[in-house]
Amino acid sequence: MELEKFSYDNKIPKLFAIATITWGVVGMLVGVLAAFQLAFPVLNFGLEFTTFGRVRPLHTNAVIFAFVGNAIFTAVYYSMPRLLKTPMWSNALSKIHFWGWQLIIVAAAVTLLSGFTTSKEYAELEWPIDIAITLVWVVFGVNMMGTILTRRERHLYVAIWFYLASWVTVALLHVVNSFELPLSALKSYSWYAGVQDALVQWWYGHNAVAFFLTTPFLGMMYYFLPKAANRPIYSYRLSIVHFWSLIFIYIWAGPHHLLYTALPEWAQSLGTTLSLMLLLPSWGGMLNGLFTLRGAWDKVREDPVLKFIVVAVICYGMATFEGPMLSLKNVNAISHYSDWTVAHVHIGALGWNGFLTFGMMYWLIPKMFNTNLYSRKLASTHFLIGTLGIVLYAVPMYWAAFRTYFMMTAFTPEGQLQYQFIDVVQSIVPFYALRAIGGSIYLIGVFLLVYNLVKTAKQGKFVESEEASAAPLTKGYKAPAKAHWHEKIERKPVMLLVLSFIVVGIGGLVEMVPTFLIKENVPTIASVKPYTPLELHGRDIYIREGCNNCHTQMIRPFRYEVARYGEYSKAGESVYDHPHLWGSKRTGPDLARIGGKYPDSWHFNHMLEPTSMAPGSVMPPYPWLFEKTINIGATNSKIHAMRKLGVPYENGYEAEAVNDLKKQAEKITASLEKEKIKIPSDKEIVALIAYLQRLGTDIKAEKTSK
Amino acid sequence: MTFMSIIIITAIASLLIAGVFLAALIWSIRDGQYDDDFAPPNRILFDDPKKTNNK
Amino acid sequence: MYEILNENDLCTYYELNQHPGSQQLQQKRKNKFAYLDKEEVVSQLIAFADDQQVHVTFSVPQMHCSSCLWLLEHLGSLQKGILTARVNFVQKEVFVVYDKNQTTLREVVETMSAIGYEPYLSMSAGKRRKPKNYSRITQISIAGFCFANIMMLSLPEYFSVSNYLQEKTGTAFRYIGLVLALPVFFYCSREFFANAYSSIKTKYLNIDTSIALAILLTFVRSLYNLFVLDGNTYFDSMSGIVFFMLVGRWAQDRTQQSLVFDRDYKSFFPIAVNVKRNESVEAALIGDLKEKDIIEVYDQEIIPADAVLAKGKAVIDYSFVTGESIPRQIEPGSLIYAGGKQLGERIELMVLKKSDQGYLTNLWNKEGRSNTDNRKLLHRISNYFTLIVFALTFASALFWLIKGEYNTMWNALTTTLIVACPCALLLASTFTNGNVMRILSRSGLYLKNADIITNMARIKHIVLDKTGTITLNKNFNVSYKGKPLTDYEKRLVASLSRHSTHPLSKAIYGHLKMKQLVAVDSFSNLPGKGIEGWIDDHHIKTGSREFVQPASANENPSNTSRVFIWIDGIVPGVFELENVYRPGLTTMLQSIRKKFNLSILSGDNNAEYDRLANMTGPGTDIFFNQSPEDKYNYVTQLQTSGTEVLMAGDGLNDAGALRKSDVGIAVMEGNNSFTPASDGIISAAAFTSLDEMLTFSRNAARVITISFVVSVLYNIIGLYFALQGLLAPVIAAILMPASTISIVLITFLMSEWYGRRLKRLKR
Repeated sequence: MELEKFSYDNKIPKLFAIATITWGVVGMLVGVLAAFQLAFPVLNFGLEFTTFGRVRPLHTNAVIFAFVGNAIFTAVYYSMPRLLKTPMWSNALSKIHFWGWQLIIVAAAVTLLSGFTTSKEYAELEWPIDIAITLVWVVFGVNMMGTILTRRERHLYVAIWFYLASWVTVALLHVVNSFELPLSALKSYSWYAGVQDALVQWWYGHNAVAFFLTTPFLGMMYYFLPKAANRPIYSYRLSIVHFWSLIFIYIWAGPHHLLYTALPEWAQSLGTTLSLMLLLPSWGGMLNGLFTLRGAWDKVREDPVLKFIVVAVICYGMATFEGPMLSLKNVNAISHYSDWTVAHVHIGALGWNGFLTFGMMYWLIPKMFNTNLYSRKLASTHFLIGTLGIVLYAVPMYWAAFRTYFMMTAFTPEGQLQYQFIDVVQSIVPFYALRAIGGSIYLIGVFLLVYNLVKTAKQGKFVESEEASAAPLTKGYKAPAKAHWHEKIERKPVMLLVLSFIVVGIGGLVEMVPTFLIKENVPTIASVKPYTPLELHGRDIYIREGCNNCHTQMIRPFRYEVARYGEYSKAGESVYDHPHLWGSKRTGPDLARIGGKYPDSWHFNHMLEPTSMAPGSVMPPYPWLFEKTINIGATNSKIHAMRKLGVPYENGYEAEAVNDLKKQAEKITASLEKEKIKIPSDKEIVALIAYLQRLGTDIKAEKTSK
Repeated sequence: MTFMSIIIITAIASLLIAGVFLAALIWSIRDGQYDDDFAPPNRILFDDPKKTNNK
Repeated sequence: MYEILNENDLCTYYELNQHPGSQQLQQKRKNKFAYLDKEEVVSQLIAFADDQQVHVTFSVPQMHCSSCLWLLEHLGSLQKGILTARVNFVQKEVFVVYDKNQTTLREVVETMSAIGYEPYLSMSAGKRRKPKNYSRITQISIAGFCFANIMMLSLPEYFSVSNYLQEKTGTAFRYIGLVLALPVFFYCSREFFANAYSSIKTKYLNIDTSIALAILLTFVRSLYNLFVLDGNTYFDSMSGIVFFMLVGRWAQDRTQQSLVFDRDYKSFFPIAVNVKRNESVEAALIGDLKEKDIIEVYDQEIIPADAVLAKGKAVIDYSFVTGESIPRQIEPGSLIYAGGKQLGERIELMVLKKSDQGYLTNLWNKEGRSNTDNRKLLHRISNYFTLIVFALTFASALFWLIKGEYNTMWNALTTTLIVACPCALLLASTFTNGNVMRILSRSGLYLKNADIITNMARIKHIVLDKTGTITLNKNFNVSYKGKPLTDYEKRLVASLSRHSTHPLSKAIYGHLKMKQLVAVDSFSNLPGKGIEGWIDDHHIKTGSREFVQPASANENPSNTSRVFIWIDGIVPGVFELENVYRPGLTTMLQSIRKKFNLSILSGDNNAEYDRLANMTGPGTDIFFNQSPEDKYNYVTQLQTSGTEVLMAGDGLNDAGALRKSDVGIAVMEGNNSFTPASDGIISAAAFTSLDEMLTFSRNAARVITISFVVSVLYNIIGLYFALQGLLAPVIAAILMPASTISIVLITFLMSEWYGRRLKRLKR
């Protein structure tokens, strides 16, 4: 019996690394564009493909799935074989994974800019791409599991656990949140509605943050930090405790995204409690990373890799402290819908995700090309620039958030709101500009990285694979001469794999139950009715243009909010909203009760040129809404789908739907004509106006009828 | 408000997935993964001897 | 070592650490491990073998750093045929798989020795390895998981104001709670029900009875509430009880991983020894030795059986066996006891008695102390407490029954048991003990189990061994008395001393530290007497008084720690060798005297009497020339007069006394030194903290009392509500973990506070 020989492949990690960096640049460029668009709306270019509403989701998807995603895969495909002393189980699957993922990204870019979106944050991609993601994810999982099962190193290092947990949870989250009923090739409606949809969305959203942006990167940290510093992790026991406590608590923290909303009180409190509990394991992890470098701080001063990693870990600590703080109700009252959330996100994203990725790249690329980094100095400069970028991003956002809060909550002595929304916007535009500059500076740093690493690659020679040898795992390892033990032990990993699939399956199956539940739904507010066909079209346009990226539809029970926007939102009002459109950021005002507030002409002019109705607005114009016609042919399928999802349209309503649509459209064009505005009644703007005028009017109807 | 039933679903789903993790935890304890907490973090630092290149 | 490593391209390990392993510069003699060729030896030592592979686990206590880890795991590169080597660093073991067609056990062991990691081989080592029992930790994991999740799902009920929690959700959560409670009830609580059942059978109440009752009632009541009343459940309290009790048990039962408290004599002796049979020499297992066998013993090796010296110069270190600090030179034909260590050349011995019948091994089999069950007191208290609680509970239940308020009665019944569960009482002692063990561990005292702490607190009398316990075993203080020697004279003495293998001469040579020596013209070594030599026309003698000055008065023959110098007819002076005592010993002995009675028993001669008497002051028994039997009897005598005795010793000759005393502490010099069976092992470096540790253990009792009182307070408050039937599930659910966690915190903080003066030992 001999030692088995094998080799570690570097080709796939290299591909992923290149993808990471490329998409990183793209995603950040788009981000910079989006940032500048808020300060200088002219940068929307008047084209539907480049408006902020479509650009912003492209940015989030690109940086999360393209940049961070590929970074995760780089880390996994490099570290896993070395930790388990075996190459990745299937090279074919690795390739499918790589190309599949990049295809998904390209598809995402094309579809998002074209307006094909679900509107659900970080899950905007429509159903065919969702399916593709599921397939590629399964390929990834099978490859990982296969590698684990054929490993030659008995012990599963903590990083492997982080990778595994991420995989399992993301799979479940993705599947559960993506339950949607397709309407057409690129359009679907969420299975859930209103409050339910919001809950599922943010159960997904937070856990996506947890298990996509955090846990895989913790795995990355636990591998690359010791490797770069050439010292073992400070306390391995702590890392084990860190992992398990994080995993068990994280799943429950989702509701903290929905505080003060229509989610029941107790669910909110639960979310807060658990979010606070999360603080301990997170900081345990951070301290573990930092203490690893105790006594080696001189190394950190000289090595840019370590600098990036240290700051990344510190940002992780900051973000995981800020997070629980933000989940406290009184803090959340200030931060929700504001730029504070944006700041929080970007400290984590730019600091933790970005910097850790850069650190990994600066360490990995020279290694893979068997040379030294082209210029340490340049990397250090990148570090300084990047840090400056983060600061210049976050500080203006904090400032803007507080400024917004104070202005929005200010009352005159007579009890009137002191500031109009537009006043607030005007006052924080300079901060938007500053933030955009901060982001640009960060991006410049990334350009330095690209240059540095390209030069590094050029001066070195790519090591396609590294030879290694190790003995296979011995059977009957633990118990003395008890031959049957090994079967039990080997069966367990398979059991885990099978269990995971079953769980994902069960999760899926169990999700079918809501359909039955929804059918027996009795709206708590009797006056809430389904949307008319025209309004449905309008709603879909709202979704397509990404309006929910700037506008919310959820009024919280605060005096200043009710004074500004109207009666606070009730849970029952959004019961037919597939998907919900509560939104999460108020760059523009809340629209929950916009219905009936302004005449149709106001909306007409506002959409054509926002500054005409609201001077100083940063909203871009939407001229194509006045050219494009409503896709009337799709009306019936919309009604049909909605009914299937439990919205009580009468059976056979399809026969009248188009007529109702036309009638309502003509009503609107008639009222527009009265104001000297002429527009054909089949233009999209009409549908949008219909939708906007409907918002929030249902309970008013109840009130007036009472 | 029966629409809150969704929270039962998410609770069950989360519990199931947490149960999977519990099974994984118990498996790893019984497999002796945590018997030695000194060796694993040091082992990852050992580089395989490179036959092809210097170092 | 560098060459071996270099050849195999393993230089990088030097980057990690400076001093891996033990410096193995001397070549082991070639056939030291010859006995490993024997089938019967191999079969005892290995774990598994088939026609290709052999699995064996070696104990390698020398490993202490990551370089050790690296080296040992790369054994395969050093020795062809070794397929895997895997270290368990915490246990200080390495698991090796080798191909029996390419190498042998002997070769593997020789390779390991060559790089400085000679494995500790012993026939009893294999038996020590019990399969680890993970069932308790599995139970704890499941109980903890279910407890936390049930609690969390109950929180909505607790948080919501009035009945905001809608029917369906609330009910669903309660059913989920039930599902989670099932594994806790049926799997995790098994040991409580089992113990309760057996206690009922024997009609002797133990603490598990009350715990089991609390669990059972809570569970049943919750079921009733859930299915019949559609009301609140107590699943969270139930699983909380189970979880915390299991954790308490675990904390109490934790033991040291890599130390062994119960060695038998076999682990002290080597496995095999070379026997001269006819004209050839072959390895034989110790157990196979017969009377009249001629055996070979080499330098640093242990004499495996009582034997007579046949050939060679024997200088035997008996410090471990009798406590003599100075090795003895043995005349040919004299008896050498098993357990002594040969220092010097190869000797031949004739076996008199087999090793298991030897004088010393008989000591191992002597009776230990009678086992006092310390938990008895605690259990008695808990039982009284339990009885009181039962009485109160039933009384109140009766009260409500008579009043006709059935609901309140049920409430009172169940909730009283939840609150008054004597869990917190038990936890107070288990957690305190756990903390105390931990703190003592990090300060250098490793206890076998937590019961010893109670014994330590009751100690009134301390008995200390001398050699190796209060003295540094291998060191001597050499002082010179008499007319000062000139440099030249010193050089003469040094040059002469260098030629003697006697430890006294070696000590003098080391003490003089002369760099330049003079060539000795001739010399002769007279065992038992001294050395005589001619250097540069000077006649020099060193040795005992009679040897040096035959006419002088007889020196006390037992006082062998004086070496007289004679140069050209004059005796300028004498070298006195005395023990080096552990630093800080005097202070420690003084402080012991203040709180305890002290005795020092030594197997050595009485040369040190004056010094010791000075250090300890009046009133301390100091006895010399104590045989192991003498020590044993002394301890017994003290015990019969009603006093609790702690004995600290390090050698085989202390073994009997250690087992007889109420607390026996073995002193351990290095990581891999042998220690006799004991209740605790103290690191030599920490020895002088022993009295502080005893004080600490007394304080532990105080900690237990205080946390006891706190938990009683909780109970009273809880009972106040429970007896009236007013205890809401939410309060019960909060009180349960709150009281536990506060006990944990209190015991932790107080233990740390009392132990703050104990210095941490640097490993």
